[in-house]
Amino acid sequence: MLLFYKILRVGVVTEPLALGEPDVIEVAREVETKARRLLGRAVAIREVDAGSCNGCEIEITSLTGPVYDSERFGIHFVASPRHADLLLVTGPVTRNMEVPLLKTYEATPDPKVVVAVGDCARTCGVFRGSYAVVGSVDAVIPVDVFVSGCPPEPADILRGILTALDRLPQRKG
Amino acid sequence: MAPELLLLALSVASYAVGALAALIVRGMAGRALVAVGALVGSLATLALGAWCLATGATLAFAAPRLPLTGLALRADGLSAFFLVVVGLGGAAASVYGFGYSAHYDGRYSLRLLGAMFNVLLLSLAIQVLADNALTFLVTWEAMSLSAYLLVLVEHDQHGTVRAANWYLAVTHAGFAALVAAFLVLAGGDMTGSFAAMRSATLPPATRNVVFLLALVGFGTKAGVIPLHVWLPMAHPVAPSHVSALLSGVVIKMGVYGLMRVALDLLGGGPPWWGGVVLGLGAVSALLGVLYALMEHDLKRLLAYHSVENVGIILLGVGAGLMFQSYGLPGLATLGFIAGLYHTLNHACFKGLLFLGAGSVLYATHTRNMEQLGGLISRMPRTAACFLVGAAAISALPPLNGFASEWLVFQTLMGGALVPHPEAAIGMAIAVAMLALTSGLAVACFVKAFGITFLALPRSAEAERAREVPASMQVGMLVLVGMCVALGLTPFLVVPVLSRALAGLGGLPLTPIGFSLSLPFSVSGVTGEMSPLLVGVGVLLLGTLTAVVLRGVADRRLRIGDTWGCGRVGQTPRMEYTATAFAEPLRRVFAELYRPTEDLSIDFHPKSKYFVRSIAYRSEVEPWFERLLYTPLLSALRGAAVRVRQVQAGSLHLYLAYMTIALLALLVVARWSR
Repeated sequence: MLLFYKILRVGVVTEPLALGEPDVIEVAREVETKARRLLGRAVAIREVDAGSCNGCEIEITSLTGPVYDSERFGIHFVASPRHADLLLVTGPVTRNMEVPLLKTYEATPDPKVVVAVGDCARTCGVFRGSYAVVGSVDAVIPVDVFVSGCPPEPADILRGILTALDRLPQRKG
Repeated sequence: MAPELLLLALSVASYAVGALAALIVRGMAGRALVAVGALVGSLATLALGAWCLATGATLAFAAPRLPLTGLALRADGLSAFFLVVVGLGGAAASVYGFGYSAHYDGRYSLRLLGAMFNVLLLSLAIQVLADNALTFLVTWEAMSLSAYLLVLVEHDQHGTVRAANWYLAVTHAGFAALVAAFLVLAGGDMTGSFAAMRSATLPPATRNVVFLLALVGFGTKAGVIPLHVWLPMAHPVAPSHVSALLSGVVIKMGVYGLMRVALDLLGGGPPWWGGVVLGLGAVSALLGVLYALMEHDLKRLLAYHSVENVGIILLGVGAGLMFQSYGLPGLATLGFIAGLYHTLNHACFKGLLFLGAGSVLYATHTRNMEQLGGLISRMPRTAACFLVGAAAISALPPLNGFASEWLVFQTLMGGALVPHPEAAIGMAIAVAMLALTSGLAVACFVKAFGITFLALPRSAEAERAREVPASMQVGMLVLVGMCVALGLTPFLVVPVLSRALAGLGGLPLTPIGFSLSLPFSVSGVTGEMSPLLVGVGVLLLGTLTAVVLRGVADRRLRIGDTWGCGRVGQTPRMEYTATAFAEPLRRVFAELYRPTEDLSIDFHPKSKYFVRSIAYRSEVEPWFERLLYTPLLSALRGAAVRVRQVQAGSLHLYLAYMTIALLALLVVARWSR
């Protein structure tokens, strides 16, 4: 009873999408149609934190939150690279994560694309030159798309994913 | 001379040659002669049984003048069937034994092993032909003692002597019960033929006593719970081809004896006889598989599965006895057929599994599953054979375990036709217990095969394992062939069995064909399928999958590590273990197992975040030893201490005893006139 009372009293609290980015939905829809054309299903993404400050992770997480809700467009985060079409890599690659990143890349079935998210993934950012850092992501595995920003906004990440899908081989027929 | 007698003479002579050769010839030639003697003897036994089953011929042979024995032999359908079981198990084990016993050369006595192996096979073959009490008991004891000596072959290994002593004690307790049963049954004349016992009319109370004594006596041999304790001890420590024989054939003699006495000699009895057998079977089946799940010693696991399968056999036999006393001969025959069929099938797949476990032991020198793993790539043929055996014992169609377990289900479902509610309900409960048993058996063999053969090797021994010699592979392949053949052709086997049973205990000849329909009492509700069709279907589906994979799929192969979240330094220590696999079931059945866990962690003195070592030990409460055998043994010891006062070691005292005994006897003789 208490539960129903609370539901009634609180009402709807979700907010409308911020006015500043109306094209996000369009981008997401485009990802959906493209994935469906190329893969015949949702695009499966494996996220690898190669040593990031977690700023990028917060933005990626918000992709799956109630505002963007990327799952409805067939953007699907999976628990193993064995299931993935696309790797989303964040952060400068630290020494501890070098081998695991390489193993993850090897474990991902072909054809696959890699999106490096954030400035650190491209240039190592403020961590450049640290003894703990091996280098940028493309020093370890081949990268298809870089998404710049510190951190990049979810819309930028979506655009990066969209661009990366173009690099998948076209389906026959 | 009739062909039956010729075959019998051939098998006896061949076993004798094999046994003598073991004593005289050494080395490789000796091993070969032992194997050839046992093989030819087994094949002759098999041929004799098959001949009698096929033609309905009966063999009768008596040599009353032989000293001591009054040997009398006779083969009817039941004997012929068990001759087939003995011959089949013996043939595979003897071929396998040639290769397997090679690594015993110089370590253990090959003479003992070879001679006793042949003696065991000989006594088994004669045993099922015995036609009077004395012949039966003498061969029974020969079988028990030769098996005891075979268990003792690896005498310096840990636990062997203890296991052999347990076996000897339990089997002799059973033997005492048997002697008593036959004394009562034969009215004191041990050389009287079985025919006389059949025609004798005993009062019901006496018949009940005979039945109960026989149940105890044969139950110890068959490994019925709670008389099973020797079985998981003795089977693992015996040489593996002997284990196969013990588990596949020797414990079946308990089933043979029970059917011979209860069904044939006593001609069936009141319904509670069948009820007791049924109950023991259900309990043995369920507890057997539950204890097997907790075992991580490969051969002990298989030994507990023998307890389970004897339970399944007894479910069939018990249901048969019940239906017979309720006057439902068709269902009774079906029950006995189910029991016999499962006996034959179990001889095949359990023999196969023990031979497979023996190959693993031969290659890795360990029976502990937690030390194995990765053997499928090192011993692919052994792995394939073991897999067939595991699928058969898990009753997966189209292999043989399915056919006979299905018959058992069919029989028990027929309980709905019994007009007595208590029997009908009992059978329904037995169906549920059997269903649970089958499911748990699958889980157990997923564990046994997965942990032993898949993933990475967990020890250096497993890492270095090699495929076993050809003779051992042949021994396994014979049984693989039998598992498949018996599974695909139940419609041929079942009618033969129904003919073999005709006439026993007044059962009429009811021609029974194999069908997969259930005897529902509601008309029009049946379900049918054919195991042959299932087999063909499996083959077709397999081929189709292979074709699709070849034709359509992308065939560029990449071989990589197992995905372990990208961690560095992935070792076999991170693999799933047998203990972990069985843990969920151990929690579900915690009330039964009462597991004791002992976890001790050695921390670094400076900080408890650094661990030096972790020791984990877990044990399952041994109910039967604690509640049944420990009190019994302590009572026995107390009695022995008291009796020792009588035997004081003084010659005068002994002379006094003799005098008193003599006087007492004279007085009794005087008064009984």
